[in-house]
Amino acid sequence: MDQAELILLFAKIWGGVGALVALAFLSFGIDRLDEDAKGAYVFRPLIVPGILLIWPLVLWRWYILADGKDEWAKRYKPKRNSHNLFALIMPVLIIGIIAAGLSVRQTWPVNLAPVQLTEPGQ
Amino acid sequence: MSVKYTPVQWNLNKWVYDAVMLVGVVAFLWLFLFVSPELLSHEFPINPQVHNARAFGACAFVMLTVILCIGPLARIDERFLPLLYNRRHFGVMTTFVAITHASYILNWYFAFSKSDKFSALLFANTSYTQLAGFPFEAFGIFALICLAVLAATSHDFWMKFLTPPVWKRLHSLIYFAYAAVVAHVSLGILQDQQNHVFTVIFIGGALAVAGLHAYAAWLDWRGGDEVGAESNGWIEICSPEDIKNGFAKIKLLPNGERVAVFNQEGKLSAISNACAHQNGPLGEGRVIDCLVTCPWHGFQYDVTNGRSPAPFTETVPTYNLRLTDGVIQVDPKANPPGTFVEPVPIPGWQEVPA
Repeated sequence: MDQAELILLFAKIWGGVGALVALAFLSFGIDRLDEDAKGAYVFRPLIVPGILLIWPLVLWRWYILADGKDEWAKRYKPKRNSHNLFALIMPVLIIGIIAAGLSVRQTWPVNLAPVQLTEPGQ
Repeated sequence: MSVKYTPVQWNLNKWVYDAVMLVGVVAFLWLFLFVSPELLSHEFPINPQVHNARAFGACAFVMLTVILCIGPLARIDERFLPLLYNRRHFGVMTTFVAITHASYILNWYFAFSKSDKFSALLFANTSYTQLAGFPFEAFGIFALICLAVLAATSHDFWMKFLTPPVWKRLHSLIYFAYAAVVAHVSLGILQDQQNHVFTVIFIGGALAVAGLHAYAAWLDWRGGDEVGAESNGWIEICSPEDIKNGFAKIKLLPNGERVAVFNQEGKLSAISNACAHQNGPLGEGRVIDCLVTCPWHGFQYDVTNGRSPAPFTETVPTYNLRLTDGVIQVDPKANPPGTFVEPVPIPGWQEVPA
């Protein structure tokens, strides 16, 4: 098995576990955690792709909420400083990446007519 | 503002927003596919798969660029706030355009070997140690995974379930996704681009995103909310005259929370500055009939108890406050969300005519 197949196997296992988490969470977990979800079923298929992708985060929040460990004060404390940090790092990255891309750009003669190297079937 | 979750909470504004966005996408694709195909180096005969892949890729890049410009523009000038209102729909559509681009690539360049096309995508180029010829596809895969996570967690359920700060952190992936897209284009199509109209669009768009974010962060750093001075365990905000009727003064508390103190017809009330929905800045909203409206998405709260009007159920914390020697002071210990606090009257208050 090569590395590419290993990566794809990992992706399949990740998605498979996510599907099991989605089944359990949407069947009985969500109703116990969120008042707004009780009796609301049409929106649930929209939640499935998210659970498939971030199921460890879903399990963590499920545990925190079910165990009564959720701290309400944290909901109202946005992380503005880290947002500003990202906003400053990204411009530097963008300029660096474009400069790197332009520096390795090669030029070659354009409008060259195609040349048939071998006869068809050879 | 939901009582029970629905798949999409449509309203007229969202219909108009989505319609304009859809017309824009169709116009862009039509222009790049049929009117000016040379913009994507299509002067020579080219198969439809590559033609479509380039057009959808260019469209996804432009859409992502516009999305990333909206945030800082709304912070720099509030006239751009309406664009922020339905940005999540914009993001979801961008993800679908990007997936279409990836599908055309996969089903052309990697579809005709004996290997599985997904395996072929991963092993076709492994020159990770050199810049020229670097496997730029890896950046595209990373960006697509990020966009998929953002689109898949865009429903309001996720904000309430994960909490707004965690949701916001997760959605900070957009910055890394954009940097990856810039790398994907710089080390990919830019290496082969002969018509430089798209080169100009690409570099101009990326630099606009970079410049706007840097400028908005600098403005925030320069004119950010001040930390209130402490006085016997209470935090000083300002003099009552400093708050116009219907508006608020925002202060940073020593514990990192932000409080918004409102003047509602000569009576003072204090609530958390962070909206329960996406932590939008409530203190930048205006109070009308006791209700402040979040400038980001229109959620409303009664400033005396931090509750959304029925039948909505959102709540924010409130703060006790007092007037001492003509200075408004706030107890830094927040009350649980939805707790009523008797408004403090400003002695001798008279509305100053505009």
